[in-house]
Amino acid sequence: MLQVLVDGLIRSAELSLLAVGLTMVYGVLRFANFAHVEFATVGAYLALPLAALMPLPIAAVLAIVGAGLIGVLADRVVFARLRTASPILLMIASFALGIILRECVRAIWGPSPFFYELGVLAPWRVFDLRITPTQVAVIAAAAVAILGFHLLLSRTRLGIAMRATADNAALAQASAVNSERVIATVWFIGSAFAALGGVLVGLNTQVKPDMGFGLIVEVFAAAILGGIGNPYGALLGALVIGFAENIGLAIDWSSVFGAFGIQTDPFLYIPTGYKAAIPFVLLILTLLVRPQGILGARR
Amino acid sequence: MIEFLVYLFTMAGIWGLMSLSLNLQYGLAGLVNLGHIVFFMLGAYVSTILVVLFDAPILLGMLGGIAAAALFGGLMALPTARLQQDYWGISTLAIAEIVRMIFLNTPLGSPYVGRAFGVSGIPRPLRGLFDDSSAYNLFYLAIVIVCLALTYLLVRWLAATPFGRTLKAMREGDAVPQALGKPVASFRLRAMMIGGGIGGLAGALFAHYNAYIGPEYFLPVETFIIWAMVILGGAGNFTGALVGTFIIMAIYNSTRFIAPWLHIDAQVLGPLRMIAIGVLIILVILFVPQGLVSERRRRYDR
Repeated sequence: MLQVLVDGLIRSAELSLLAVGLTMVYGVLRFANFAHVEFATVGAYLALPLAALMPLPIAAVLAIVGAGLIGVLADRVVFARLRTASPILLMIASFALGIILRECVRAIWGPSPFFYELGVLAPWRVFDLRITPTQVAVIAAAAVAILGFHLLLSRTRLGIAMRATADNAALAQASAVNSERVIATVWFIGSAFAALGGVLVGLNTQVKPDMGFGLIVEVFAAAILGGIGNPYGALLGALVIGFAENIGLAIDWSSVFGAFGIQTDPFLYIPTGYKAAIPFVLLILTLLVRPQGILGARR
Repeated sequence: MIEFLVYLFTMAGIWGLMSLSLNLQYGLAGLVNLGHIVFFMLGAYVSTILVVLFDAPILLGMLGGIAAAALFGGLMALPTARLQQDYWGISTLAIAEIVRMIFLNTPLGSPYVGRAFGVSGIPRPLRGLFDDSSAYNLFYLAIVIVCLALTYLLVRWLAATPFGRTLKAMREGDAVPQALGKPVASFRLRAMMIGGGIGGLAGALFAHYNAYIGPEYFLPVETFIIWAMVILGGAGNFTGALVGTFIIMAIYNSTRFIAPWLHIDAQVLGPLRMIAIGVLIILVILFVPQGLVSERRRRYDR
């Protein structure tokens, strides 16, 4: 059971980095950015050639900065011209941008997966728990990034400007907040966080062109579950989704049904093939029951 | 070359049905269905299951596929009343993927049919009447064109009825049609069911043309291709949707002629054509947001 919790924590760490960026772009620009998850892919792939030249952590930082700049560029080229367009059109444009990013990666690096060169690392054993140094690094990196993000939001002028723009863009602008600068920052941080998430996913599994898009429903589920536009909600949502995915498979559902007086087979587990369905179902349930999310959306 | 053109037109006809159906839902009613491929998938799978597993006549199988997709469209419409457009869009994407996951994990009849293996050997209607496969393909093209023409007339007619005009009013928000006493939820339900049925027809036609279906045909990116067709052609205009379909299909299939000429590796070519479609859509949204054939709107402010 402990192993399930660790796996859940790792998944949550990866998802939270993606969900925070998605929710920030939504908060400031008010559209569902379907291209967001592709910055994870871009970041993970940018780190590959760099990691051949330098230690992986430095390569990862450079890749993350690169992905952040690509995010700002994407905003300048596409979305800056569509500030007044309908959210639907922005959504379709972001879907198109996502495909362009993903297919560029596929055209450059090909469809086969890559791995970061780490050598063989023996897992540490704590009680009956197996955890690799990579997994510890994944959790630590996500924790540091999220803590830094929290300090940025709560302690700096820029963070306050970002929150103000998300709350009420017109009022923020009237209070001398440069909203275009805030938007550029949000794109940079959002894309960079997604890229870090991508590198971490790549460390844990593999680097492949569909790695970002494969996460899209989970990331949206996390952002919506916590209340879209609310970064802390996205963290909470990521924790819920990350743990639900892993715990949902580990539970013997016959006892759950039994508690409600429903008789089923003595051992009722969700088949592993349906693991990915858990966040999808959670997303749809959230939208039906509490579309404003657990913490309430900023809109 | 003729063989290829027959194939291209048949596929363009099948996808044309999909874009007419999306245009009814998005172009008229403003429903942002990001899981549109689910109708295609249900039409294809239900018709295949009925015909291959239960030995139903092909016509009955196709009708079953259409009915299943229409019912599913109705099911998808139920939460719309409570959700904002973008939330609903995301949930449709998730619904389509859940359905795909079910087909990806369910064996159909035997362990090596269904799941990732897909279903092969799907019978083709009236195949016995033709000795020659190219003559048969021409015949199938005729079936597809008849279906497309009838559907085109149907949706054109629907758009002109009070039903269609109410859908257009709903696109701009529920307040006005509600003030006129229109039951908005029931109109959405019907738009989703009709669109779903048309999508189911397209899927059934595809399954019995291709003779093989598998979960890899129904990825979310296919929904994007349909969106590209509708946005390029002009949302709200059914002729535009067909024009968009044809242009996107031509780009999608042009690569086999360009490839030997440009000396590009096949592994790069597949991504390149998707990049071309993506760039085209962004250019359309930036510079001609109403599409190539824009919707004819009556103006009352002059």
